[in-house]
Amino acid sequence: MKVVVIGGGWSGCAAALEAKKCGADVLLIERTDMLLGLGNVGGIMRNNGRYTAAQEMIELGGGDLFELADKCARHKNVEFPGHKHATLYDVIKMEPTVRRYLLEKNINILFEARVVDVELERNSIKGIYLYDGTFIEGDVFIETTGSTGPMGNCLRYGKGCSMCILRCPSYGPRISISKRAGVEDILGMRGDDSYGAMSGSCKLNKESLSDEIRESLERDGVYIIEIPKEDVNLEKLNMKVCQQYALKEFAENIVLLDTGHAKLMTSYYPLEKLRKIPGFENVRFEDPYSGGKANSIRYLSMAPRDNSMKVTGVDNLFVGGEKSGLFVGHTEAFPTTLRQ
Amino acid sequence: MFKYIDCIDAGSPYCPCELASKGECIICSQLHGKEFCDCLNWKGTCIYQEFLWNGCKSKKIREFKKFKIEKREYFREDILKLDIKVNKELSRDLNNIGAFVFLKNEKDAEFFSTPISILNSDIETDIITVVIKREGIKSKALFECEDEILVKGPYFNGIQGQKYLNELKNNSCLILSRGIASAPAVLAAKKLKINKNEVYVFLDRGRSRQNFSKPYFLSLGCIVEDVSFLNTDGELKYEYKKQIEQLIKKWNFKTVLSAGSDDFHEKVINFIYGIDKYINFATVNNSTMCCGEGICGSCIIKGRNNVKIRACKQQYNPKEVFLRGI
Ligand SMILES: Cc1cc2nc3c(=O)[nH]c(=O)nc-3n(C[C@H](O)[C@H](O)[C@H](O)COP(=O)(O)OP(=O)(O)OC[C@H]3O[C@@H](n4cnc5c(N)ncnc54)[C@H](O)[C@@H]3O)c2cc1C
Ligand code: FES
Repeated sequence: MKVVVIGGGWSGCAAALEAKKCGADVLLIERTDMLLGLGNVGGIMRNNGRYTAAQEMIELGGGDLFELADKCARHKNVEFPGHKHATLYDVIKMEPTVRRYLLEKNINILFEARVVDVELERNSIKGIYLYDGTFIEGDVFIETTGSTGPMGNCLRYGKGCSMCILRCPSYGPRISISKRAGVEDILGMRGDDSYGAMSGSCKLNKESLSDEIRESLERDGVYIIEIPKEDVNLEKLNMKVCQQYALKEFAENIVLLDTGHAKLMTSYYPLEKLRKIPGFENVRFEDPYSGGKANSIRYLSMAPRDNSMKVTGVDNLFVGGEKSGLFVGHTEAFPTTLRQ
Repeated sequence: MFKYIDCIDAGSPYCPCELASKGECIICSQLHGKEFCDCLNWKGTCIYQEFLWNGCKSKKIREFKKFKIEKREYFREDILKLDIKVNKELSRDLNNIGAFVFLKNEKDAEFFSTPISILNSDIETDIITVVIKREGIKSKALFECEDEILVKGPYFNGIQGQKYLNELKNNSCLILSRGIASAPAVLAAKKLKINKNEVYVFLDRGRSRQNFSKPYFLSLGCIVEDVSFLNTDGELKYEYKKQIEQLIKKWNFKTVLSAGSDDFHEKVINFIYGIDKYINFATVNNSTMCCGEGICGSCIIKGRNNVKIRACKQQYNPKEVFLRGI
């Protein structure tokens, strides 16, 4: 059986791995030159209930990626406001590690190959088309294209393209494959009736922080400093994807985590204001490049599905990760595809 | 079949255009009455972003400018060649596959403006060469231009299926050409040659001893065969069908450029599809055009499932339009 996985984020990697374990011939198609998608800018694992989830998955035999993430950990057992015993993986080591692992397992991967359309035969997908018209047939299709962007959505529902890791201008926009197969997407709605939500963290270049901050980050995994009173912005919390990080503490303090870069637990932060904080005088953003202004918009494309993760109305299309519901993190992206 | 949708102006200095400001953009769903992204063909820029950053307005529209006619030459009493001295920017822009301009005599009203393909654009001397056949009122009016002429451009959609010509490198291409439509085929051949392709041209001589474009093809290094494609019933002659079939077997062409009337495209495409259904086609765009900006609707043709195609701006896969019974 030939399984085609569309989108090489965490959930796509998990799906490809699991399909391979089940004995399928697997092709993983990714539009950029890197696997992991948003996983290249995340890093937090095993915080709070996710710890149990990770242990359960390992016990159930689906723990490959959790174990790789543990292996790439920079810090274990980190505590920060509202969160206990977190592991922080090194975002710089993670992608090549997963990539080698999948290749070792003989999973075929196509990079820089954006899927743009499907060929339907009644209620089944016969094959998919790449951007250049190449037709790829398959028996089962798993869509793990995430729910983020593209540019026009980040513009309409956010504050414009912030040049995030998905790099739409270079590799072309995310496309809803389920929609191309005739199934309307479900959208996430914010409290104020607008759609989507903004990614909840950005990354600072660690070298641009003071020696003192960098040393303490590398020692403890976390660094917390109060935000000047006049700059506290509680409203920004409402826009966040990850409501578990939408605590007052995150609006009143700068919370930095060491994931290789200095992960700043807020959607965006004007550079001028950030540089007023002691030790941040020379700071610059590492991801998104325009983190002083905006961040990516998520939850604009979720497919209606049943509990076997099959898309309603299409016989051989499955979904995982953010594409399959309001799953906010890496930990959730793994098992949504393992079930299949 | 792969749905090949493209707007020739997308991502260019002329994008977003008036279609975008009226919610009719060919590519962008957000500028086509929808609220979410469903981009039909990514060209490296977001049209919606360009539109918003341009103050929710379309970009400048092309305008007529007056240029000097350097040389007039009759190939036949009803076929006129003009060399027009334009500016650097225009000559560079027009040195591309599918390039055309609108021409008009200064004394005539706006609706006399006529789309005319570029046969050659010399970017050293900034001289563009066009060939005009006297047919109807608009082309007749152009024959009256003596020293000066109004030129509006650049436009790029003079050839459909450009993608299939552009992707040929170190390869080979067959051009089947008949009548005035061989002018844009010359410019296409120039580009194909630059990309190190062998170009084989079957050139219909029509009523003349040879087609006016033959010397141009030869000087580019193409292999040219003089033919007379059609029999008295207007069908492709058996002898050429045989020859084409043999050539296809020998050269393994990936793309065939049909440079004739729509009727001719239909005959060529259906015949060659019958030999090898994987060959791609490019066709000279013969649609009646008036504005060239996607607005007036005079160029609209019907594609698969009767979808409307604004042929002045939109690229389509010629198979979708000319292949019978699919
Ligand atoms: C800044 C930031 C920080 C985060 N931090 C954390 C964290 O610390 N911990 C945590 O648990 N979660 C975190 N998250 C959330 C987490 O990263 C995501 O929920 C999770 O990784 C989603 O995985 P996914 O595979 O569903 O989607 P994605 O990661 O979005 O992957 C989708 C993939 O599909 C590809 N794709 C899309 N369309 C096409 C197409 N048409 N053809 C081919 N490929 C296509 C994309 O290029 C991408 O690689 C963070 C998110 C962001 C934005
Ligand atoms: S020529 Fe006017 S719409 Fe195409």
